[in-house]
Amino acid sequence: MISATMFFVGLLQALVILAVAPLFSGFSRVMRAKMHNRRGPSIFQNYRDIVKLMKRQEVVSEQAGWVFRATPYITIVSMLLIAAIIPVFTSRSPFEWVGDLILVVYLYALSRFFFSVSGLETGSTFGGMGGRRELLISALIEPVMLLVLFVMALLAGSTNLGVISTKVATGQIPLYTSVWLGMLAFAFASFVEMGKLPFDLAEAEQELQEGPLTEFSGKSLALMKWGIYMKQVVLVALFVSVFLPFGSVTATSLVSQLWISVLLAVVIFFAKAFLLYFIVAVLENAMARVRFLKASAVTWTALGAAILSFVFYLANV
Amino acid sequence: MDAIQLLLLSVTVFVIGAVASLLLNGFDRASRVIAGLIGAAASLIGLISAIQAAIRIPAPWILFSPLPFGQFILQMDGLSALMVGMICLLSLAVGFYSISYTGQYIKQNTGLLGFFTNLFVAMMLFVVTVENAFYFMVFWEMMTLASYFLVTFENGRKETVQAGYLYMLIAHAGGMLIMLSFFIFFITTGSFDFALFRQAQLSPILKDIIFLLAFLGFGAKAGMVPLHFWMPPAYSAAPSSSAALMASVMKKTAIYGILRICVDLLGGQVLWWGLLILLIGAISAVLGVLFAMSEREIKRILAYSSIENVGIILMGIGVGMIGIATSRPTVGLIGFLAALYHALNHSFFKGLLFLGAGSVDYRIHTRNLNEMGGLGRLMPWTALMFLVGGMSVAAIPPFNGFVSEWFTYQAFFTGSSGDDFIVRVALPLCAALLALVGTLSAMVTIKMYGSAFTGPVRSETSRQASEVPSSMLTGMALLGVGCILLGLGAPLVAPYLVHVISGTFDIPGAVVARGTWVYAGNPVQGVLSMPMILVLLLGLLFVPVILIALYGDRKAGTKTVSDPWACGYGYSDKMSVTASNFDQPISVTFNVIYALRSVVQKPFGAIGSWAKRMRDAILNAEPVLENIIKGPITRSVSYAGRQIQAIQMGDIRMYCLYIVLTLIVLLIAIFR
Repeated sequence: MISATMFFVGLLQALVILAVAPLFSGFSRVMRAKMHNRRGPSIFQNYRDIVKLMKRQEVVSEQAGWVFRATPYITIVSMLLIAAIIPVFTSRSPFEWVGDLILVVYLYALSRFFFSVSGLETGSTFGGMGGRRELLISALIEPVMLLVLFVMALLAGSTNLGVISTKVATGQIPLYTSVWLGMLAFAFASFVEMGKLPFDLAEAEQELQEGPLTEFSGKSLALMKWGIYMKQVVLVALFVSVFLPFGSVTATSLVSQLWISVLLAVVIFFAKAFLLYFIVAVLENAMARVRFLKASAVTWTALGAAILSFVFYLANV
Repeated sequence: MDAIQLLLLSVTVFVIGAVASLLLNGFDRASRVIAGLIGAAASLIGLISAIQAAIRIPAPWILFSPLPFGQFILQMDGLSALMVGMICLLSLAVGFYSISYTGQYIKQNTGLLGFFTNLFVAMMLFVVTVENAFYFMVFWEMMTLASYFLVTFENGRKETVQAGYLYMLIAHAGGMLIMLSFFIFFITTGSFDFALFRQAQLSPILKDIIFLLAFLGFGAKAGMVPLHFWMPPAYSAAPSSSAALMASVMKKTAIYGILRICVDLLGGQVLWWGLLILLIGAISAVLGVLFAMSEREIKRILAYSSIENVGIILMGIGVGMIGIATSRPTVGLIGFLAALYHALNHSFFKGLLFLGAGSVDYRIHTRNLNEMGGLGRLMPWTALMFLVGGMSVAAIPPFNGFVSEWFTYQAFFTGSSGDDFIVRVALPLCAALLALVGTLSAMVTIKMYGSAFTGPVRSETSRQASEVPSSMLTGMALLGVGCILLGLGAPLVAPYLVHVISGTFDIPGAVVARGTWVYAGNPVQGVLSMPMILVLLLGLLFVPVILIALYGDRKAGTKTVSDPWACGYGYSDKMSVTASNFDQPISVTFNVIYALRSVVQKPFGAIGSWAKRMRDAILNAEPVLENIIKGPITRSVSYAGRQIQAIQMGDIRMYCLYIVLTLIVLLIAIFR
């Protein structure tokens, strides 16, 4: 299953997602500003922020240990690996020889684990509180994501994301009710996991000081921010690859004129991602915040949708 | 030497170590060094025996037994060899660890600790190899007794004695159930030999009864919900080195028992058996991790986390048995593979975590997470080891816990595509539950690591903490390296376990690994390459490094400030998040389950208090017997004594009179 071409496609995917992640977040910021009737920053503002932060001095609490120092790197690296596994530009998973959807879910856990520990490690109030919030949300959301992905994997007969993507793209998995419901549940779960409203707002600085990010500064903060932008794009990419894989390069057309078709697929992916970011931004800004401890009341809906999707799968509709 | 002879040698050396430690009881240092080193040597011998047996199954070793219960047979098939290897590896690490660890029990019968620890391991080795139900029960009970004395070793405290009592009660109730299941076999076959049990012609009802008895009996020892409540107090009371052995390998002897009786001897061909085990496993996993979340004491958290992990192992066994019952050998194979892999992994990371908790206890003498904090800077190696164990238990790639949970997911996945509706419903839901358990157990780990090793130092004793002695670090490092190797070495470990399963049970083997991959019998269904994950994670590190080299400014440097940011106010240590408030969002969100817990606990509390009343009644009954039988005798003896006292009046002249009288009597007696 390892081929040099797919290896480079995977690397390309990871690097492209790395490169465009701040752009998508910038788009989000612009959208929010427009909906608030503000002028807002430029769409490229995030790049400028990151470059500036890279040059700044780092200020570290003396309680911080090596976990704190390693976290920015681990965040970026795990996101890069996920980005290389998910079938984004092709409908095959470029790094399918590394792992499947279970690995993808647990690589998120890897970055979250370090994120939360780093929040605790500094001894900062906000870091610790933000860390535990992050973990609670994931405990509520992860079963939903896994159940939906599991149902899709059962329909495809494989936990390989590429196989699922190909089968959805080529219509071998008909769009059953269960797929629609699963898509709904997964969309909701990704929305929450992306750190959007209703429970989380990275810009609510007065309340939680951005959680575990509080203590990061300088180049660590730059990497952390970049990692978080990537996490959002990767979630969107995962959603696209499982539920909307149409238009990406299929396995058969891969051999001839590879790079042209990949280029086309990149453009198609950008279009889909911008559309989803647009929807997310509209939803986010049209929504009131929910008290954090009430999160479970809302996430039950997602779990309900996921279970319904499973029930419909059992009934074959 | 033959594998079985080596095993016998290993047991002999363990017993020698036990006796030597007991004899040297007065000399603290000597006894603990001897107990630890001889234990480690015996473990090495046992390990060689396990490796030999894994390569080639030795002929059974039969000793004629004078007792009429059949012969004393030792047999090391694949499963037994795996168990022996697991026990010996853990005992090796704990042996090194306890050389220094038991140094804190100065003049507190250190010799006894070494005696019972070595005896305990020796008995476990017999339990997993003996092929006769009678001797199995003998060794099982001796193992229980030895562990009971380990639990009550620190018997100065009231909780310890109570924990020991509860443990004894449950262990014996469980032992009785196991014995009953063996008796049913005995009635049908007229023998206690496992070989004859295998061929027993049992009616389905009898099979069901045996299954239930054995499952409940072994389940109590394994700590499945609802028979788990003895475990947190017992593990918390026992010295950490013993708790590590109990949690990591004694539990696995119970898993071994379930596999041996329900799958090997009974054949496991009934669908509801597998479903029941799956259900109990799922409940244990979810409740175990939720209860772990609400604890403050590190060893109790670890005990609850063991309950969770036994749940995961049981889920794997459940899928395996479902596979056998529905004649889908691949499902059976992957289910048992997941269960055995997780059992193996759990013994490493849980052992490591208990040793880590023991190291903290060794330095700052507390098990309460709220009193720890900031230890990562004072005990960096212990912290690192604990983090390795913690990431393994939280199933974070590329550590070993992830591989076995991956196989568990794959077992659910492979099993879901069958025809039985109930199986198709149950397995995907179990997968979702496993995802919940995975995230929550990561949270439990973060809670333990976060409040013990990071943040501000919260007590005066912890301020003076320093790194533990090297022998303790060696013990932990052995297990830590094991965690990493079992994760990265998945392409070697998985085929070995398949070999064990197909050699022990009636399941054909399958290819589960190629190159660096592992897969669930069919690579199209999804593959995992643990070595590649590590290589890529390390390789991709170049990206952020290059980014910083390109855009960063090396002159900017890093400034260290004493306090974290506190919105401009003065920082106080009390501002940091502690173990008590870390789990608040979880306890609010899952409050239904915690409320249910107190409801469910009532009947168990009632059983406990009933047992206490029974014990009191027995204690009161004893004096009654005493009064009837012993009373008159003692009374007449003391009466006679008082009468005789009358002639001892203390007057020198009277004594002279006695002497003269005696002389006269003697003279008359001689010359008459």
